[in-house]
Amino acid sequence: MRDDLPLKDVKICDFTWVMAGPASTRILADYGATVVRIESPTRIDAARTLQPYLDNKLGPDSSGMFANCNAGKLGISLDLRNRAARAVVHDLVRWADVVTESFSPKAMRAWGFDYESLRKVNPNLIMLSSCLMGQSGPLAKIAGFGNMAAAISGFHNLTGWPDRAPAGVFGAYTDYVAPRYTAIAILAALDHRRRTGQGQYIDQSQAECAIHFLAPAILDYTANGRVNGRVGNSDAIFAPHGVYPAAGDDQWVAIVCRSDDDWRRLCTAIENEDLSRNSRYALAAGRLEHRDAIDSCIAAWTHALDRGVIESRLQALGVPAHQVQNSADAYRDTQFAHRGHFVALDHPSLGKFTVEGPRARLSRTPAVVSRAAPMLGQDNQHVLESILGYDETQISELVASGALG
Amino acid sequence: MSVLSPYRVLDLTTERGLLCGQMLGDMGADVIKVEPPGGCSARSIGPFYKDAPHPDRSLYWWAYNRNKRAITLDIERDGGRDLLRRLIEHADFLIESHNPGYLSERNLGFADLTRINPALIYVSITPFGQDGPKATYADSDLIILAAGGPLILAGDADRPPVRLCIPQAYLHASTDAAVAALAAHHERARSGLGQHIDVAAQQSVAMATQAYVLAAPLGSPEARRMSGGVKFGPLDIPLVWPAKDGYVAMTFLFGSALGIFTAKLMHFLCEQGFCDEATRDKDWIAYGEQLLSGAEPLSEFERVKEIVRKFTCSHTKAELLQLAVDRGFLITPVTTIEEVVESPQFESRGYFQDVAHPELGQSFRYPGPFAKFSATPIEYRLRPPSIGEHNSEIYRDELGLSEREMAELTQTGII
Repeated sequence: MRDDLPLKDVKICDFTWVMAGPASTRILADYGATVVRIESPTRIDAARTLQPYLDNKLGPDSSGMFANCNAGKLGISLDLRNRAARAVVHDLVRWADVVTESFSPKAMRAWGFDYESLRKVNPNLIMLSSCLMGQSGPLAKIAGFGNMAAAISGFHNLTGWPDRAPAGVFGAYTDYVAPRYTAIAILAALDHRRRTGQGQYIDQSQAECAIHFLAPAILDYTANGRVNGRVGNSDAIFAPHGVYPAAGDDQWVAIVCRSDDDWRRLCTAIENEDLSRNSRYALAAGRLEHRDAIDSCIAAWTHALDRGVIESRLQALGVPAHQVQNSADAYRDTQFAHRGHFVALDHPSLGKFTVEGPRARLSRTPAVVSRAAPMLGQDNQHVLESILGYDETQISELVASGALG
Repeated sequence: MSVLSPYRVLDLTTERGLLCGQMLGDMGADVIKVEPPGGCSARSIGPFYKDAPHPDRSLYWWAYNRNKRAITLDIERDGGRDLLRRLIEHADFLIESHNPGYLSERNLGFADLTRINPALIYVSITPFGQDGPKATYADSDLIILAAGGPLILAGDADRPPVRLCIPQAYLHASTDAAVAALAAHHERARSGLGQHIDVAAQQSVAMATQAYVLAAPLGSPEARRMSGGVKFGPLDIPLVWPAKDGYVAMTFLFGSALGIFTAKLMHFLCEQGFCDEATRDKDWIAYGEQLLSGAEPLSEFERVKEIVRKFTCSHTKAELLQLAVDRGFLITPVTTIEEVVESPQFESRGYFQDVAHPELGQSFRYPGPFAKFSATPIEYRLRPPSIGEHNSEIYRDELGLSEREMAELTQTGII
């Protein structure tokens, strides 16, 4: 382990599960934080059951989603309902700078692990709770996943075609947004504690932070009374702006003209005089008005061409264009490769396991993915012995109690 | 007390990076938006208040520039660059989102500014990163979503992939940048040194594939788009379901974690007469595997989905939400923006904030604090600034320029 990682002195006791919480502590682990992830030996983390799977085989450690969210962490198994687990939790909380959890609101209180109880164990503790709707309010109790939070905070309704039912944004969208807000809240609270010695409690609603990604539409309603709806791939300013068919089965290329210059360059590439000489299309306002006609002309040009050829031809002219990439395309993508986006880790039982690399490059103290996600209880011995300093008797008593599963 | 109040941020971003500085500003940092004399390009992005285009009335601008002060400064000219270097001496962070090389060509790159202020954390947000084969690619939101992986996963199977109609790519990148900036800041407390942070939006949006960007290297089939759900292998998995008065999102999945919820829902459906006991008693934990192995025919899955659809169609969104609250079902309504703003849940948490715009004689509701901090609550101190609103305050009162210097800079168009 490199000793210059930015967060090498940060210790996190992580009760979070599924995606939103673990994805946030994954970021902090990349920057060097020591994250001890607590998992129930009886109630499996849903992330372990979700696709994509390594070699397309379901197994407790084969979920790519779980692996991606938990790389770089230590894992212990602990049955929080077991009385013997209580002392271990308290010792971890005493050790930790930060406790994170993402259960529905009453769970931590039921176990006696709410903030008021835990700060008695560690008075300057920082604790962050993240759940769909926040710790209070009539919907606080709602349990569930990010696809549900995305629906109730307006994302699904704004994705799709105006003449059809909402297609919905892909997957658990708020689980992609919330982790960054979780991580920055923790880092800011650590800074405050470094300067003042004061810890605090942070109540994060995944819906509330995700709504910042819809802020322009929120303000269009609160300032103008306008309720935005689905518009397919149309843009309010740019035209053309779309996804066009390319040669092959289900192959697509995205093309955008940000300016009248982009449009002239696109016309040069298409070599269609009806388009380039049509004065109604010269300015964006005219192109927005006639976007359907223009889209048909562009599709007539793209549909027989290779999407990669379209991308490079248009990019050579300075026109925004990119093939629409699936995983296989992304894995071959020269820019992703240049950035080291795919990192193959050694997994203790499954061989090579590829996850995504850190998402930001720091010039002096770059982030690193130090190890594959833990198997259930993989680090019990290490955490109990080296981090908590338990002796052999204590550890065997704990094993005998069944608290470790 | 605000958590980041000791720190100063110079925000040189365009529409690509505005949210990054706002996140730091929300937590109390003194964020100075540095704009060219005519104003930041983002001020021309609609929609506009009352649909009247005006640089201080862009709702896109409002959305991502609260809690910032604003000055004008022309970095194309020597005088402007000198002024920026003076500001750099007292800054903790600089955030920029120009094309790679643009600022270093003007002697304002990381290497230039770190000489003036070795503790400076210099954050760059770009479409594809500072270098590499696509670093100079022309870009937009849609292009990055295409390159990063999420675009292909959403949409109707018989139409092209479709994006969320509010631009997202640079919001993902801006949030990654803000986190990286504070990680570097944590390290700076030990070393006293700043560094350069290079964020590529293409990598940031890959987060929105829910790890499906890993399908190929893992040897898993690709997920394929389907209206209101996803196709995985032979399975059509709906995530959005019709209700009596609209749509709901429902997690109707299988396996050792999610099958329990499905079993609970099917018990209720049986009680309510939507299905027989044999259907209720299927092994919902193993159900996904049974479908994939062929032990359960796909036609039977279609029949089950039809039963569930009959149930969702026979209730309103509000009724289904109440059932979710009372019985722990995994259902939420698909809401319009109006329903979001008027939601009793957000109301009861005091989420939306009224921000006064005195020059318009009105207050407007903004999305509220992204989290509730018990010791250092987020405050909305400043409405989004007008062009050069804080020139005097910052240049004269804080940097100590004389009236004559101010007049000269204004006359020559540098500020």
